[in-house]
Amino acid sequence: MKAFRQPALQALIAAALLAAGAPAAQAHPPNASDASALSLLPIAISVSAPVMILSAGAVLSVVAVEASADGAVWVLQRASDGARASLTLSGQLAGAMSVAAGTTIAVAAISTGWVLSAAGQAIAFIPNEIGKALLYNERVTL
Amino acid sequence: MNPGAWLAIALLAAAPPAHAGRSCERKLPDARNVERAMTLAEHTAQRLDASGAQVVLVARVGQDLREYGQRYSHFGIAYRDAPAAPWRVAHKLNQCGTAKSAVYRQGLGEFFLDDLFEYEAGLVVPSPEVQARLLPALRDNRRLAQLHTPAYSMVAYPWAQTYQQSNQWAIETLAMAQDPSIATRPQAQAWLREHGYVPDTLHLSAFQRLGARMTAANVAFDDHPSAKRFTDRIETVTVDSVFRWMNRSGLGTSIAVVR
Repeated sequence: MKAFRQPALQALIAAALLAAGAPAAQAHPPNASDASALSLLPIAISVSAPVMILSAGAVLSVVAVEASADGAVWVLQRASDGARASLTLSGQLAGAMSVAAGTTIAVAAISTGWVLSAAGQAIAFIPNEIGKALLYNERVTL
Repeated sequence: MNPGAWLAIALLAAAPPAHAGRSCERKLPDARNVERAMTLAEHTAQRLDASGAQVVLVARVGQDLREYGQRYSHFGIAYRDAPAAPWRVAHKLNQCGTAKSAVYRQGLGEFFLDDLFEYEAGLVVPSPEVQARLLPALRDNRRLAQLHTPAYSMVAYPWAQTYQQSNQWAIETLAMAQDPSIATRPQAQAWLREHGYVPDTLHLSAFQRLGARMTAANVAFDDHPSAKRFTDRIETVTVDSVFRWMNRSGLGTSIAVVR
């Protein structure tokens, strides 16, 4: 899957600066058709012990990361008592996740599911029933 | 709940960059932005449920366009098959700052899971007649693809067919669905003109145009009439112009804002 991004207009600020020595402030046209997206998130997963790892405020650490043909499995351990659970992520990009053994993960519970993050950056989202209804990704054209 | 059924989405290396409008960076998203995006998606779904509609135009604020007098940057067409079914959004996405694009059907979560400038959605509910004609097209991948032009310029001229930006695909597809005799982009554009659609004019200096063309693959001006482009007038399909037209023409409601 290819990642989709919004057009790179800010880049022309630099070009404008170089070209004219002008202030960079307004030297970019608008992306009035702002397409883009996080559309290609690797999706699909199972959690072996959701009650254990999905408690709000839990602090987990990554014990192991295994890439598989269709995704990746992370083994997570709860800091407070050493309990473990595995999180199965599917998607071609899951195996390329920049998550390594030893990474500390924070869990935040929101109304649509749980956001797993490391150092403030989201690394996975686990939807609850509400969240599941909000997620779907189908490419219609080539 | 069956744990095995729990879906997870990994916001990977391919996740969105820090700011809209930059090239494809392989950078993890801020956890706070994921929370805000999913919450906005939930609130939008609740508002759509309450609207009683089956088809609604949904816009997001992907970047700060106030300098150009614009509020929303991108819109798609949300719909659902049945009263209890989940909402899906048909929209067109530009591929990583390249000159290519594709049409997608996504959930409201994916629609807002981007690095938005503001976590606000704009909704316009089409009239019952417009909805009824749109719904079969939104379910049909062949029809969603029918007027799609892969070549992408974010400032594509509204009355040409060389390129097609995302809002342009949406409004042309809306037009196509309203009249069974429409099968091509020129026909859809003619319908839009006949029904009073007027694009917005963005004032871009030659300096801005030159810089954009030299540095971004997805910006082109060669489809614009020379008389306009050389006087700094770049017409394109903006969300704001579409929403104003829908309301003015009686084709839809005024904008409802969701946060």
